[in-house]
Amino acid sequence: MPKILRVNVSTREVKMEEAPEKYLGLGGRALTSQIVFDEVPPTCDPLGEYNKLVIAPGLLSGTSAPSSGRLSVGGKSPLTGTIKEANAGGITSQKLANLDIKAVVLEGKPADDKWYGVKIDKNGAELFDASDLAGKGTYEVTAICRQRFGEKVGVITIGPAGEMLMLAAGVTNNDGEGNSSRYAGRGGLGAVMGSKRIKAIVVDSPTTFDVPVKDPERFKAAARKFSKILLDHPVCGQGLPSYGTNVLMNIINEAGALPVRNFRFGRFEQAANVSGEKLAEVAVARGGKATHACHPGCVMRCSNVYPLPDGKVCAPIEYETAWGFGPNLEIGDLDVVARLNYICNDVGLDTIETACTLGVLMEAGVIPFGDGQAAIAALEEVAKGTALGRIIGSGAAVAGKVFGVTRVPVVKGQGIPAYDPRACKGNGVTYATTPMGADHTAGYAVTANILKVGGFVDPLSKDGQVDLSRNLQIATAAVDATGLCLFVAFAVLDNPDGVPTICEMLNAQYGLSLTPDDVVKLGQSILKVEREFNRLAGFTSKDDRLPEFFYSEPIESHNVKFDVTDEELDSVFNF
Amino acid sequence: MPGTNKLRVMLMRIEVRVFSGLEKYLPGVAFGQAFSVELPEGSTPRDLLSRLGIPEEQVFTVLKNGRHLSWDGILQDGDRIGLFPPVGGG
Repeated sequence: MPKILRVNVSTREVKMEEAPEKYLGLGGRALTSQIVFDEVPPTCDPLGEYNKLVIAPGLLSGTSAPSSGRLSVGGKSPLTGTIKEANAGGITSQKLANLDIKAVVLEGKPADDKWYGVKIDKNGAELFDASDLAGKGTYEVTAICRQRFGEKVGVITIGPAGEMLMLAAGVTNNDGEGNSSRYAGRGGLGAVMGSKRIKAIVVDSPTTFDVPVKDPERFKAAARKFSKILLDHPVCGQGLPSYGTNVLMNIINEAGALPVRNFRFGRFEQAANVSGEKLAEVAVARGGKATHACHPGCVMRCSNVYPLPDGKVCAPIEYETAWGFGPNLEIGDLDVVARLNYICNDVGLDTIETACTLGVLMEAGVIPFGDGQAAIAALEEVAKGTALGRIIGSGAAVAGKVFGVTRVPVVKGQGIPAYDPRACKGNGVTYATTPMGADHTAGYAVTANILKVGGFVDPLSKDGQVDLSRNLQIATAAVDATGLCLFVAFAVLDNPDGVPTICEMLNAQYGLSLTPDDVVKLGQSILKVEREFNRLAGFTSKDDRLPEFFYSEPIESHNVKFDVTDEELDSVFNF
Repeated sequence: MPGTNKLRVMLMRIEVRVFSGLEKYLPGVAFGQAFSVELPEGSTPRDLLSRLGIPEEQVFTVLKNGRHLSWDGILQDGDRIGLFPPVGGG
């Protein structure tokens, strides 16, 4: 029977309980959001006794379904105050699923200030003393745990930023080589883990793809078909496996939708210098890898391994991060981008939030735009816990308030990612309305707006953007429940066999008879649960808005403003 | 050249960039490096690809001044054109 592992940090009790019937059909984001909704008071202090950190593999994680090893981490966000699900690659999702664990729940409030770890294996789970790991960066923590518990373990951990309860702290886990850089980065869930004083969760599983499946033959056929659907699609089968996610840099720049200098401009002259093409060239020349799978069984392999000049390895540099530390700060040096990325991974900060925060600090004149060395020096303050370091770790909204900056790119307190909402309006609608705070993955309208995947909707016109964002938000919530990588959407949106094949895999695994309609209903119900949590936490439609400069200041690449009306934004969830 | 003026077709000059592997068709040109191409007025992306020797099936997206252009769209003097194979990420 599938289990839920509860770690009560008040009583130090570790309990493996049978998953209740009502959770059996849920996984990933569907399960984390439902447990948070059921068990966390919406008005609670995110860093207090009543919040919980919920970690869940997806419904298909741990099977041979291609690209199905994504991990969901949920809780009430200290950054936004909303419900939050942050999604990561890495190897622990499949391991948890293979141990038949549907979710790990950290709950309560520690009575003392000791640090603990949780060790999970086929015999159960137990706490261990982690005082020797406290204060250490995630790379070192992961290396120590792999040495102590075996090279093949997955290590979920936080860095010093999470220990210091910084609002932009993420939760990470490692890839197959032990790089601790697979982040459930967004929303400060690392601070929630830190508030529970759990430094690491070590997952040791002897198998990866052996989750029980009701009808193995049928499953195998469906998984094979799904793999072909992915590989036959030009983006999933060619684009992503060639240059990784940072292949976007040049096309978003050419499209005039690349946020530059804290969202002032839409194009950056040096974009090519920090693009996926350049990354592949440098990484390979230094003995790294242009492409890499973040978890076993991924067919898209969009990750990379980038060796820094000093021999340290940053794996990977994703598009969002390259944008945030590159064009957003007017930095055109990939080694500077990689260094900032590496520091974030080690200290345990969300790169998108941190990039937006550095943009705000540059806006304030604390450090100059374009000054990579000053940015590195500032980011190094985080691990030291200095005043500046704590401001950087608190995210863009806080930094804006501290330094009196009004040009702050956030929604619901969360930094806006790498697509300007004026020149990619579908994403603007998603940023404004998703229950998660500005989040590009929650309804990735770049597909139809710029990549011409799943149809075409003119990115500069507001026409059709609400419908596009709504449909993508629903589909994304459902995909996030399966443990499939969101990038399967590129193929699924263009192939009528996509969703039915996902249903076929789920049906074969669980002995169900789901139809594509049920998938839509699942997506809708997840969003409804999340919206309801936010409503009870005090959020209203006035929170579903972009910062005002997007409405008043045209982006120069196309001379357009964000012009989707409030009424139109309020119609996104009319289902 | 002297003497050809009578036959001269009006030419326009466009600024082209290729990305994500398409540069392999253009020896000496790096991805993202701007170069200009002269084409007769009224030319389309098809004419441009034919001039550059890039197979049409390799090109998924043509951006003209940051906006999508169809295969039959008309290029104009001074346009900034970006050519891409299928790309995606996030």
